[in-house]
Amino acid sequence: MSVTFECGDKNALVAYLYEECEPELRDVISGHLTRCDSCSSEIDGLGWTRSRLEVWTPPMPELGFQMHLPPQEARLPWWRAPLPAWAQAVAALVIFGVGLSVGLARGPAAVREVASNQPPPATVSTTSIDTASRDDLVQLEERLKSAIAQMRTAAPVRQVAASAPSSDEETLKKVEALLAQSEERQRREFTLRSVEMARDFEAQRRIDMASVREAVGQFQGVTGNEIRQQREAIDRINSLIRVSQQGR
Amino acid sequence: MTRTDEELVARSQSGDVDSFNQLIVRWERPIYALAYRVLGREEDARDVCQDTFLRAYRALPGFKGQAKFSSWLYRIALNLCRDWIRRQQRAPVSQMPEDIDPAELLAETQPTESIEDLVARRELSAIVADAMKSLSDEQRTAIILKEYHGMTFQEIADMQGCPLSTVKTRLYQGLSQLRRQLERRGHGMAQLVKRT
Repeated sequence: MSVTFECGDKNALVAYLYEECEPELRDVISGHLTRCDSCSSEIDGLGWTRSRLEVWTPPMPELGFQMHLPPQEARLPWWRAPLPAWAQAVAALVIFGVGLSVGLARGPAAVREVASNQPPPATVSTTSIDTASRDDLVQLEERLKSAIAQMRTAAPVRQVAASAPSSDEETLKKVEALLAQSEERQRREFTLRSVEMARDFEAQRRIDMASVREAVGQFQGVTGNEIRQQREAIDRINSLIRVSQQGR
Repeated sequence: MTRTDEELVARSQSGDVDSFNQLIVRWERPIYALAYRVLGREEDARDVCQDTFLRAYRALPGFKGQAKFSSWLYRIALNLCRDWIRRQQRAPVSQMPEDIDPAELLAETQPTESIEDLVARRELSAIVADAMKSLSDEQRTAIILKEYHGMTFQEIADMQGCPLSTVKTRLYQGLSQLRRQLERRGHGMAQLVKRT
């Protein structure tokens, strides 16, 4: 198949200019250019324009882009990757549910055990007062209350309970005393922390005020200098005017 | 040992950030030059260049290698330039040369080039940059990709999402328009012949 070129075919001329045409077409266009002044000058003009483009060089600053990933974004194996928030919430719910069911399953047995084995009053020793947490105490109180309730309702237990009513009263009193001490300690700690926070806040406020005063002072100093300079300039101008008026 | 783009891309996809940084070192200057010529401002070009690599890194898992990495990168950069122009709602503005610093000129002078030649070259560079503003976005982009990044007609057509013939038309019309603009500014072919 013969390759043809129509005189003035701009797309073909561009392809020829950029040397992106078939070799056959290139030969045909080359032959045509030797005979056609119009196409020849067109190619010369386009080539000349291309040569002008060579001088357009962008400024090349130091770029030095680098990709830095924070450590937590590094790709970890799936078993070491942190769980998403929803998965953590689900896991927490599952753990809570399991704990609750285990607690419910063990609850009555534990109460029976307490009821059958009378807890000696000495189990809550005076040495544990300082180390027992509020939760421990609340749990202990609950257990004791339920045990006492069981003892009072059940007949065989009632006999056992009747044999030592004074010890129950003492235990309850001790528990209440422990609770009161714990609450007192928490109140004290809360007060201390409040005082510390107020002191820190006051100290920070004083530092901020000092820095503000310093900044304002600097600004005033600058403004004062400018005003003084302007006044001096005005005085000079006035004296010049006076001198010129006297000269007249 | 110099690794190919494809090797570095594969390594980057498996989490090797250093390999991606090698790709950045290799391609940051061409991408910056493209962005500068399209946008005409150094700061914007730098921002677009940085954003290009950031987007490329994020999109890397989805890059399947159908196109060359460089073509993919150029496409991201051009899209960002287009967005940038649209967002800023301003025509591309090329920076005209400001006061010429003699020390800077000396540092820039080639061993075979006089200061006068260098000044003339810079002046012409500014005139060409200014003349490029008269082209449409499509014509300017086609010329930039062809002249400064050596792309084929087909690559430009893929990049611009248009037929091959449209690319040729854009190049022809763009070069013709540029020639007229240079002539209007006293730097045409005829004026040059007269001067010499």
